Amino acid sequence: MTSWHLDDDTLRRYVEQTDSLAEGASAEQHLLSCEPCRARVNATAGVIDLAAVWDRTRDAVEVPRPSVFERLLRVAGLPAHEARLVAVASAFRGVWLTGAAAVLAFAALAAAMGHARGLWLFLAVAPVVPCLVVAASYDPWMDPALEPELVTPYPALRLILLRTIAVLALALPAVLLFGLVVPGETAFAWLLPAVGFVAVVLAASTWVSPLRAAIAVSCAWPALVSLLATRPGSPDAIIQGRAQAGFLVLAAGSFGIFLLRGRQLRRLRPWR
Amino acid sequence: MDSGPGDEMLLAAVAERDMGAFRTLYERHAGWLAIRLGRRCNDRDLVADAIQDTFVAVWQKPQGFRGDGDIAAWLWGIAIRRLVSRLRTRGSLAAVFEDAKAAPAAEDQVLLSVEYGDIGQALARLSPEMRAVIQAVVLDGLSAREAAQLLHVPVSSVKTRLYRAKAHLRAALAEGSS
Repeated sequence: MTSWHLDDDTLRRYVEQTDSLAEGASAEQHLLSCEPCRARVNATAGVIDLAAVWDRTRDAVEVPRPSVFERLLRVAGLPAHEARLVAVASAFRGVWLTGAAAVLAFAALAAAMGHARGLWLFLAVAPVVPCLVVAASYDPWMDPALEPELVTPYPALRLILLRTIAVLALALPAVLLFGLVVPGETAFAWLLPAVGFVAVVLAASTWVSPLRAAIAVSCAWPALVSLLATRPGSPDAIIQGRAQAGFLVLAAGSFGIFLLRGRQLRRLRPWR
Repeated sequence: MDSGPGDEMLLAAVAERDMGAFRTLYERHAGWLAIRLGRRCNDRDLVADAIQDTFVAVWQKPQGFRGDGDIAAWLWGIAIRRLVSRLRTRGSLAAVFEDAKAAPAAEDQVLLSVEYGDIGQALARLSPEMRAVIQAVVLDGLSAREAAQLLHVPVSSVKTRLYRAKAHLRAALAEGSS
């Protein structure tokens, strides 16, 4: 460390900004490598309220950093508080998505083996996965964070729609990816039923808990599929042609009901 | 003159999420950083924001310091860029040398009257705009684009002014030594 230090006059002129450019530059260069002189500069009055800035800095670093997903939502243009509300859903806590993906992967694998039963299995499982994930994303039983959220005067309808869209945006690409390994048109034909079931869960959640609705759907659908599986014919038949149109009507109708009865969502809370 | 742990140790502790070390680092550096930033920017609120941004960045990425040189120099590099980025998002004119706006022709007049002598004198005779550019690019090590954002002038102006300032300094020094 050098024995040369800024003299008091130079230091004062530096802090008061009355020095020349060359003198200032020289002082700044020295300050970078001289801790004692920096301490002398720090001891002067200073230009800002350092204590206040420290408080702000500490607050800023103590708030947990938003998750990757939350930051993504903000980049997509969602205001910070809404991004937080959407992102705290339990469906985004990794475990849920992983579990759903694993179930789907097994079903897709079975279907990919080319076995007729495997295809049935895929048909029974794939369409109900999205609605289960959606239900998990805003069921109060799954997500205690919803409690205070729905007490605050925040449009529950908007929150649930946002979360549903966010969940689908996350789940559908994964589900589609697995669908690709499934032979034939089955790979995509189940999408409409999946959307239909999500709409049914949304509509039903204005009466009962979303999770119950989703569980009911995911019991009924595989039961129906297994019933049909006992009949002869291609498994694809149940999700093609007129059946597809039926799912479209189901989706549109249920969504309509959901929007009409959106006000009932305030009753999400007592369902525990 | 050694008082307490060195900056490297503090930074290592910050990487371990040690709030006490973070506080010590802040107290050791925020003051002079603010004063130095204050020489580049008259807006005290912007300086405060830049200081906050700097230390938040340090907290989030203490490993950004590669262990070469002084931590003070590393901090300054972060701080001046945070200031530039604050200026950019604020979009307001807050840079120093506001007197530079007063007389557009001053630059040329001063250039003509650069007196011969040592570099300090030569620098002192530069127009405020040129001094600002020299300070940003040569002394603070900013890129031409960053300097342009700091000073709210086009990038081309930064380059032109820097080129002219260098030429005139060189001439002044050459004449002075002969």
